[in-house]
Amino acid sequence: MILRRIERFFDERLGSDAWIREAFAKIYPDHWSFYLGEFALYCFIVLVATGIWMTFFYQASTAEAYPSVIGFSHATPIGYLMRQVHHWSAVVFVAAILVHMGRIFFTAAFRKPREINWVVGVLMLVLASVTGFTGYSLPNDALSGTGLRIATSVAMSIPFIGGWAADFLNGGSYPGPLLFGRLYTLHVYFLPVTIGILLSLHLGLLVYQKHTQFVPDATRVVGRRFWPDYALRTLCALAATVAILLALGSFIEINPIELYGPYQDWTVPNPAVPDWYAGWLEGALRLGPAVEWRIFGHPIPAVFWPGVVLPLLAFALVITWPWIDKRITREDRRHDVLVPASAAPWRVGVGTALISAGVVLTLAASDDQQARAMHVPVEALVTLYRALFPFGSIAAGLIAAELARELRSRYDRYGTENERVVAFVRNAGGGFDEEEPKSA
Amino acid sequence: MKNGAPLLAAIAALGSAAAAALHANPAIVGGLATIALLAIAVYAGALALALNAPSDLSEPREPCGPSGAPEPVVTRGGLFGRMWVAALGAFALAGVVPLVSLGRRPRRHGTAWTKGARLVTPEGRLLRPGDVAIGGIETVFPEGHVGSPLSATLLLRLQEGVVSLPPERAGWVQHGNVAYSKICTHAGCPVAIYRHASYQLYCPCHQSVFDVIFGARPVAGPATRPLPQLGLDLDDAGYLIARGDFADPVGPDEWWRTT
Repeated sequence: MILRRIERFFDERLGSDAWIREAFAKIYPDHWSFYLGEFALYCFIVLVATGIWMTFFYQASTAEAYPSVIGFSHATPIGYLMRQVHHWSAVVFVAAILVHMGRIFFTAAFRKPREINWVVGVLMLVLASVTGFTGYSLPNDALSGTGLRIATSVAMSIPFIGGWAADFLNGGSYPGPLLFGRLYTLHVYFLPVTIGILLSLHLGLLVYQKHTQFVPDATRVVGRRFWPDYALRTLCALAATVAILLALGSFIEINPIELYGPYQDWTVPNPAVPDWYAGWLEGALRLGPAVEWRIFGHPIPAVFWPGVVLPLLAFALVITWPWIDKRITREDRRHDVLVPASAAPWRVGVGTALISAGVVLTLAASDDQQARAMHVPVEALVTLYRALFPFGSIAAGLIAAELARELRSRYDRYGTENERVVAFVRNAGGGFDEEEPKSA
Repeated sequence: MKNGAPLLAAIAALGSAAAAALHANPAIVGGLATIALLAIAVYAGALALALNAPSDLSEPREPCGPSGAPEPVVTRGGLFGRMWVAALGAFALAGVVPLVSLGRRPRRHGTAWTKGARLVTPEGRLLRPGDVAIGGIETVFPEGHVGSPLSATLLLRLQEGVVSLPPERAGWVQHGNVAYSKICTHAGCPVAIYRHASYQLYCPCHQSVFDVIFGARPVAGPATRPLPQLGLDLDDAGYLIARGDFADPVGPDEWWRTT
């Protein structure tokens, strides 16, 4: 009854019934992999909700940051849970974005007309990682303080503007007096608001351009009605995501800053590894060559290549992929129908090689722990990973492409889409010939 | 099932709130909330399946573009004329000024070490040459500057005569005590691990290895510069003091550090 009155209130003023009806009747293509992006979306919602709660306690200063986080974690009944769920949501958020992006990549959903949404998505991945890193740094514990120090050193390594860039974050030499105020502004305001704006754009474009589908009919959108069918499904996804994040936060401790202690300039926990999504950068710093070039007497520090150049190259490659893909396929038609990954083995190869390179770098980020566990010198592992980074990735890409090719030829032989029945006839010489197709 | 799941969700949600109010273990609070949300997920999922709604409904797919307008909207006149571009571009360029003011070039060369500064532990204890056992290691600061940025220093004691330094640094070692910057020249982490058996310092962040016998030169890992050495001396009371600031710039390199 109340719902009715609310509905009438808005309809009389906005004519909203018409577009609610339209929105409810909208068709959404359905496939399990289309929910991956939704998981990322729901992680973001949990992040905002738990994050807002924590902002009411956090003190953004070098001296107060750590005690304030410890304070709300243990002096309030749900503070610890909030922090744990928030941290878990952050690491799952980045993972969900990456898996979603993998689906988009391998099914070629980024092709015209959806290049804009690919770019928006890649930007959100970068922002999610940076937001994660700034948030991880806020408690000013011994581990994250070390991460900030490394980040400052990487910023410093940029030619010409490095000192300014490092100072940009710190407001002085590390650890600067403005560091935590600036991190806080970035983490709770600038970065999440930017993600929110891009997210709205991402979803708006998705609705406006309509979702891709596997059903091979480019003239129609085939799927489920939004209300009530799809709405119930996505509600299920939302509740399941929150349940998973709550369970992780409740039962598996993450980032125990109580054990690390507050950051001091001269201490560091050992082993020291960042959150998983920053692992590839940490690994790259470990594998990077020990070379320092000088240009007119000015040094280019060793961390510049793995810490600045490598991530920029990776970013450039990924964000321009739709246009690189056009160059390779030599076509620029619009596509609303997805391809199975195996339809383009070369793309499977490229994607697998990139993922493998990321995995090798991430593994390298904990080489010291692996060396200790396996009783091998860490230098040997560094050599191994330095070789695996280019060659292992290429090998993995080639193998994946070959597997995809095999899969494709099997589809071609037995698939229903390209079914072709051939009859053989005995010829005069005793051999077999394909029977001539009967003309229709 | 029909009413069981929402009922369970309601009970678990209230239970979670009650547990939080009673300051129960976070695992209980979170566990009950998890159960509530799982029940909602199951309920929504079951309802969706029970609908048995068709998955092959369709609507026409009309492309959003191109709009087929005869004339492009963006023309060389109007806002995209040359003078406009020049004016707006210059204005955007001027916007760099507020950005630049967010950072300034910090002075990174000096540390808190001065000639005659006494070495103290982070707890403020003064040190004599015999206070650190052979094979031992201690983090030290200049007296009165504990925790000062870039000043953290490692004091190591080796067997006498083991250290091999250039002749001009011959007097920098006092009874086997030798001091190096604790700030890694690679990415600035504290070089926190020492292995006396191999006379090597390890950085736990990126596994750079420094040989303390030969002036802490890098022998493995990504570091390219030795850890700067702090010359040691003894004051009249027999305490370890610094001969001055570090001989080389401390910490990671940057473009403007040309020494």
